[in-house]
Amino acid sequence: MHQNILLPLLVFFPMVAAILGYAVGRKNKEARNNWACFTTFLVMGGTLLLIGKHARYSLPEFCGLGLSFEGDGLRVVLAVLTSSIWFITTVFTKEYFAHYHNRNRYYFFMLMTLGATLGIFLSADLYTTFIFFEMMSFTSFVLVIHQESDEVIRAAQTYLGIAIIGGLVTLMGLFMMYHMAGTLNIEALAKFMATQEDKSKFYIVGGLILFGFAAKAGLFPLHTWLPEAYPAAPTPATTLLSCILSKAGIFGVLVLSCKIFLFDAGWGNFILILGVITMVTGAILAVFSVNLKRTLACSSMSQIGFVTIAIGMQGLLGSHNALAAGGTILHIVNHSLLKLVLFLSAGVIYLNLGKLNLNEIRGWGKDKPLLKFIFLMGVLGITGIPFWNGYISKTLIHESIVEYIELLHEAGQSTIYMQSVEWIFLFSGGLTLAYMTKIFVAIFVETNPYANTCYPSRKGDYISKVSAVILTLCAVALPIVGIFPYLTADKIADASYHFMGAHAPEHAVQYFAWVNVKGAVVSIAIGGLVYLLFIRKVLMERDHNGNLVYIDRWPKGLNLEDRIYRPVLLIILPFIGAFFARIAGSLTDGFVSILRMAIFNDDSGRVVPPEDRYFSAYTDEETDKIVYGEGFAKSLLMIGVGLAVAMLYILF
Amino acid sequence: MDEFATILPVIFPIIAGVALLPVKFNSRKQREIWVFSITILNTIFALYAIYFADGDVVTLIRFSEKLSLTMHIDGLSKVFGTMVSILWVITTVYAFEYMTHEGREDQFFAFFTMTYGVVLGVAFSGNFLTMYLFYEFLTLATLPLVMHAMDNKARHAGKTYIFYMMFGAALAFIGFVFLYCYGDGLEFTYGGVLIPEMIQGNEQTLQIVFLAAFFGFGVKASILPFYRWLPKASVAPTPVTALLHAVAVVKSGIFAIVRLIYFSFGTDYLIGSWAQNVILIATAITIVFGSTLALRMPHIKRRFAYSTISNLSYIVFGAALMTPAGLTAGLLHMIYHAVIKITLFFTAGAILYKTHREYLYEIEGFGRLMPITFLSMALTGISLVGVPPFAGFHSKWALATAAVQSENPMAYFGIVALIISEVLTALYILYVLVRAYFPRKREYPAGYYDHVSDPNAYMTVPLIMLTIITVLIGLFPSNLLSVLEKVATGII
Repeated sequence: MHQNILLPLLVFFPMVAAILGYAVGRKNKEARNNWACFTTFLVMGGTLLLIGKHARYSLPEFCGLGLSFEGDGLRVVLAVLTSSIWFITTVFTKEYFAHYHNRNRYYFFMLMTLGATLGIFLSADLYTTFIFFEMMSFTSFVLVIHQESDEVIRAAQTYLGIAIIGGLVTLMGLFMMYHMAGTLNIEALAKFMATQEDKSKFYIVGGLILFGFAAKAGLFPLHTWLPEAYPAAPTPATTLLSCILSKAGIFGVLVLSCKIFLFDAGWGNFILILGVITMVTGAILAVFSVNLKRTLACSSMSQIGFVTIAIGMQGLLGSHNALAAGGTILHIVNHSLLKLVLFLSAGVIYLNLGKLNLNEIRGWGKDKPLLKFIFLMGVLGITGIPFWNGYISKTLIHESIVEYIELLHEAGQSTIYMQSVEWIFLFSGGLTLAYMTKIFVAIFVETNPYANTCYPSRKGDYISKVSAVILTLCAVALPIVGIFPYLTADKIADASYHFMGAHAPEHAVQYFAWVNVKGAVVSIAIGGLVYLLFIRKVLMERDHNGNLVYIDRWPKGLNLEDRIYRPVLLIILPFIGAFFARIAGSLTDGFVSILRMAIFNDDSGRVVPPEDRYFSAYTDEETDKIVYGEGFAKSLLMIGVGLAVAMLYILF
Repeated sequence: MDEFATILPVIFPIIAGVALLPVKFNSRKQREIWVFSITILNTIFALYAIYFADGDVVTLIRFSEKLSLTMHIDGLSKVFGTMVSILWVITTVYAFEYMTHEGREDQFFAFFTMTYGVVLGVAFSGNFLTMYLFYEFLTLATLPLVMHAMDNKARHAGKTYIFYMMFGAALAFIGFVFLYCYGDGLEFTYGGVLIPEMIQGNEQTLQIVFLAAFFGFGVKASILPFYRWLPKASVAPTPVTALLHAVAVVKSGIFAIVRLIYFSFGTDYLIGSWAQNVILIATAITIVFGSTLALRMPHIKRRFAYSTISNLSYIVFGAALMTPAGLTAGLLHMIYHAVIKITLFFTAGAILYKTHREYLYEIEGFGRLMPITFLSMALTGISLVGVPPFAGFHSKWALATAAVQSENPMAYFGIVALIISEVLTALYILYVLVRAYFPRKREYPAGYYDHVSDPNAYMTVPLIMLTIITVLIGLFPSNLLSVLEKVATGII
């Protein structure tokens, strides 16, 4: 097989560059920053070279089972997405981190994470995927914990804890898979599974493998780390977490659903349910949030739910899955682009104000048209307004649901279940609009009644020229994708169909036909209602000065992590474990003390064990008295004599 | 000549150690030169004997037809001997610096050198009697090292140590006697020495005897319920804890168990018996037990000691599967664990040496102040956790694979134990690292960060070397694996 050296280079070059950058950074900070930008730029160039090729590379025997990489369709799309977003974020990091300490560490782990992430997306077998997935978990932990305040440490520990547990459960699943199938190569696994008639016996294995990936993607009920860790991380790291690292989890889900459980309705349904719950939970959390980054974080979770629904629909639709497959990949790409714009804008705000609470940053963007425009593009995109990119992918996902309902209809089966999924889907779309309107109105439309106390005066521009240009370009790209879907989005989808076992649809999708726009209109109507009736009325309240302010009405006790996970994992299980361990540990001592009681019982039943006060044959006192009679040495001597006698007996 | 080459690495350090006992060195430098030349010379002898001598059986003394003292270097000896002789040099260098604050170095290095020979004696033994002899010597030679501080704690630890060891040896002795009676000579032969006709009618008795001998040797490998001595012995100076209680002594126990299972009783007889199930369960319980208690220990060295208990049982679990794949995995983990744990103890020792801090809550934020020490700890710690692509991952993967392949229902129990222990390992190692690198924001007492810096080259160079070895054997395990496979199938 032809080996393409580019693949391992893309993975390992950033890691080497990270070490070089660290060395450079000790001497010259500016050079290190530029080096990091240059590295990510090179990597971006490298991934672009992969387009249109089918590259493979394998390193047999490295790390035990050997690593193997592959670059084709979907993998290349994800790799290009990763490297370009990484490049943009790195450029932005330079400005954002100007006043941070420990930047050297950040850059080091940031580049390591880049390598690991590309390793995941370009992996040809699940073993390789797993190796890089674990690496990514550990290196990104350092990014999350960067600010080192107590809340951040707590959030980062949760992140690490879930990553470790998830990783190990996945490992267990991979291990069982390896045992059952004899291989972990993704293509070989797909072939193997195609020969299996009954896939249901693999559900447990699949579920175990899914666990770690679902945790990283933030699927319910493993999402608890997400609303804490995203806001805790510095903004460039949050951007990477949301845009790329969560997609690494999704990549795992994709491999499971499109390779191992291809066209399996049971599995598809399972994924669909996970997706629906995640989508709604994320959206509701986002509506209640009063913190800019937290809202965006919950929004990420919700959007990942949309993607997961698309993946689930692929399983349900079987070989008619082109719409769902297109929706999956396009929503992955769109969400990354949208969150890039939104999080970086949030970064600009935080950079200037050092605050994220909606009440404190309110109205700050009112007189900043450029930022307002950029943010607005992001808002319109993510809410799925026609002519912006989010609309395209959401339409595809919606259409796939509708298509399945029609299929069920033709087969004469009940459609209630799927219709409710459709309505929840539209409702979540509405919630998206509601929470995005909430933050947009708060920051860019309203006036802050306490503006004088809140905003520190800051000289110069609020955003550097470089960042402004990059952000504007990214923002402008969003409607372009949305207006010309056949030139842009469809191309991406076409490249990716093969991986997902789909064929391009026979007719191009009529994105702007009334049937398709209708869904968006319903969502918008729901969103408007929720915003006006719920957010403005219930989630806002007049304070003592008579000004409307945002209130956090999310019930404090309603938190899976604090209520269940932490107590179970940190108190109950360790207690049980330690309890049994202590019992097991005191077995010998207990046995010895029972023996002593049995042996040294005197006539009246009292236990008088003899004291072996002296360790050596001599006492410690001033006179070197020999105390063989009661010392430890005597016992040893007797053992020795016993052994010698036994030896002699054997010999003669 | 080859006979002499085989015996020399065993005899030379014992004689040298005894000779060092009465010597009073004038200066530290002088002692270092002597001890170091003895160690390095002996390592050369040992490696020569392992790789260039022709590996014949060397008879030292013949008592009777069946009873003799013999030396024989086979594949297993090679693996164990190489591991010990390389790590010994590194530890000696580390000990030079470390022992300056413990005092009585003359005595320490005399016994330390002596132990080197005894451990190689265990490795090179050609039959059960010889191994048993050196095994007992090992207890006696290391006792002064454990009690080095000679305060109450150390004496108590020493006493516990010797009680347990004597008890274990007595149990092992039973095994020896029965092997003598039922076996065809005591020479280690791959596949066992029991005579099939003699087994018939005595299966149950022999299984009980096997269990007695297993737990007898299991005392040194600290298998439940005979683990108590190990955490207590962590009062010994760090080089002792590191080398003896993570490598030499405990692994002699494992080595003896492997000899017992594969070379004396034989897997054909034992596989599928209830005795095998008993030891699989015992090791599975020990695996979880050690990790659980490690997580509860705020004392760093004791935490690593409990971690050792857990990891030793990984190895014994592999061996107890009684398949070549199981033994291969076990041996792989033996080597990985040796290198990793010695490094971890060295880092704990470096902290203790520089700052006299022993507890977790006393080392918050040291990560940046002792960069080399904690980088070593981080890399090897992550290897121990088994984060791919670092070392521990492969051995655990191999262990689990072997367990599944063995198709023993009890082995699945072991896999579950492995997974639980994995989580716990991750927690107890990462907890230390997170505390060290990301201190909680709080008021630290005055002088908290005084004198916190990396130790000098005597200690850092061994640390760096060991860390590099750990990373390399993690990234390129294939050669190692193929050698171990040959050993485990009895080819070499």
